[in-house]
Amino acid sequence: MSDNTVKDTRTVLCVEDEHLISELYSRALNKAGYEVTVIPDGVEALAKAKTKNYDIILLDLMIPNLTGIEILRTLKDPKLDPPIKSKVVIITNLEQSDEVKADIEKQADGYLIKAELTPHELVEFVNSIK
Amino acid sequence: MDYLAKLINQTKLKLFFSIFSCALLIILAWYIINYYVKLNKLELLGSLIVWAFILSLIFAIRLSNYLMQPLKNIWLAIMHLAPKTTGIVPPDTDSIKFGKEVVVNLIDQLYEMLSVTNSLKGEEAEKVNSLTQNFIAQSLPLPLFVLDDSETIKFANQAAASYIGSSEKEMIGKNVYMLLDMSFPSEDTFDNWLKKSKDSSATSTQTWERVRLEVRENHPLLMFDLAAYYNQGNPDKIETLLVMFDHTKLYSQEDQAVSFMALSVHELRSPLTLLRGYIEVLEDELGEKVDDELKGFIEKMHAQADLLTAYVNNILNVTRVDDDQLELKLAESDWATVLFASIESMRLRAKVRGITLNCKVAENLPKVGVDRLSIQEVINNLIDNAIKYSGKSKEINIDSHLTENGLIETTVEDHGLGIASSVMSNLFTKFYRDHNNRSQVGGTGLGLYLSKAIVKAHGGNLWVKSHEGQGSVFGFSVLPYSALSEEAKKNEDKEITRSAHGWIKNHSLYRR
Repeated sequence: MSDNTVKDTRTVLCVEDEHLISELYSRALNKAGYEVTVIPDGVEALAKAKTKNYDIILLDLMIPNLTGIEILRTLKDPKLDPPIKSKVVIITNLEQSDEVKADIEKQADGYLIKAELTPHELVEFVNSIK
Repeated sequence: MDYLAKLINQTKLKLFFSIFSCALLIILAWYIINYYVKLNKLELLGSLIVWAFILSLIFAIRLSNYLMQPLKNIWLAIMHLAPKTTGIVPPDTDSIKFGKEVVVNLIDQLYEMLSVTNSLKGEEAEKVNSLTQNFIAQSLPLPLFVLDDSETIKFANQAAASYIGSSEKEMIGKNVYMLLDMSFPSEDTFDNWLKKSKDSSATSTQTWERVRLEVRENHPLLMFDLAAYYNQGNPDKIETLLVMFDHTKLYSQEDQAVSFMALSVHELRSPLTLLRGYIEVLEDELGEKVDDELKGFIEKMHAQADLLTAYVNNILNVTRVDDDQLELKLAESDWATVLFASIESMRLRAKVRGITLNCKVAENLPKVGVDRLSIQEVINNLIDNAIKYSGKSKEINIDSHLTENGLIETTVEDHGLGIASSVMSNLFTKFYRDHNNRSQVGGTGLGLYLSKAIVKAHGGNLWVKSHEGQGSVFGFSVLPYSALSEEAKKNEDKEITRSAHGWIKNHSLYRR
């Protein structure tokens, strides 16, 4: 198994409304030394993301009350004051057209398909984000 | 008419002289008998009657033969020319003594009348034949195109006109490739077949299934099976016949079924995510705490979950290929790294079947231009096929090397079931699965179809060699990045974009 520990405690916001998936990811990230917050609601997640500078935000696209794309656009808006420094990674099972995916990838710091990712692989990816 | 008048006069003359001669001979006989033989009146009458009878008989026989000559020769001529009689010798006109001119004239007229009649019959027959052929061609409820030796449309029936949405007049005289933008599911296109037939066959027939036809913008896409007949050197320049069997509705429904399938399998992604996640947790937490048997079961669960993920991805990607929506970004990559990552991801799936993956990569391979995820999907599909078709064989060999023309070629070899030659031509067709092994070997029938589209989009080629019962070798090539770098230089992000699609355009006129 790969070494999933990190030196400093990095914070992760997991915006995911499927409880079982967020539970799996939290477990793996916690084991790897991350501090994980799970918020299943879009509006609440956006508010939290603006106020607390998480190191990494794992953002699902289909969540209640506000879509992941809307949250992404808000967080990456150059006019946002104060600007956030969080790395935003889209993590979804939704099939997108290449145009939409390309558009998302321009703003996001990563684009992952959940079904192609095991928890370990997610941790490896998060570890690789500087 | 002169000849006839002459004949009539001759006949009159003959008859007059014959009857007059006969009368004279009878009178002479009376005189001789009366002078030399003393007979009473009754005896004299009797002898004169006998003498008259004999003379009349002689004259009648000789006269009738003579006078019947013209009629006899005409009869011979007619019977000789009559269609239902055989063995009748034509008259010898040189030997005719009486009425020769009339007979010769009449025979000439007979011959002329017969040739005119035959000519009329021939013309009539040809006209009837042409009308019949035209009726059949026009009544045929299937689109029919007739091409000459330069692939120009000589004839198109009404069904063809309705199908294409053009009039017959608009189609005739046009090159078939200008009118029909056909796409085929494999390299075996109509264009390729026709070229091959012209080079090597006097006659040839071929059929294709699932041909697509884009007529024009805003015209619905047509899908049909196509039958073609070629004959070389036809004197009427009818060289190639095309008949279309429309299946637009059926094939569209099948394609829609794939789209529906894609919608459905998309829903599988969430449970798959959880399944793979829990399997990983079990592997982590229970790995060393359970016996080998249970550990093996967990490994098998992992392998099956990976396989299910691959199937789901294949189905989703096939719909994108069909819609020309699968876009690949070719970037500079180290081939060994790409290949080994794929092999590692497949090692567990091979292991649960007791199969070892052996890999050999040539040193100093140049950097390649690939879309990493897609090309790994190709490698995974080929290894997956090799695993499925390994039978009792326990080794799969993967080899990568540089070819003579500078391509990076990778082969996946198994020593298992092999593929029957009857199956080979359909191997890369969507949904096709070898019916002989269907009960033993699972699969969606989409992996090779998808792999071929991806390799083609990379500028490479996917091929197979196989012997039934001995195993198969699948190979594919990718280009070195240096071959693509010119194009990459134009793009800021150094990526080259390609579209993967599963349809082969019939003619270079339409290829991108």
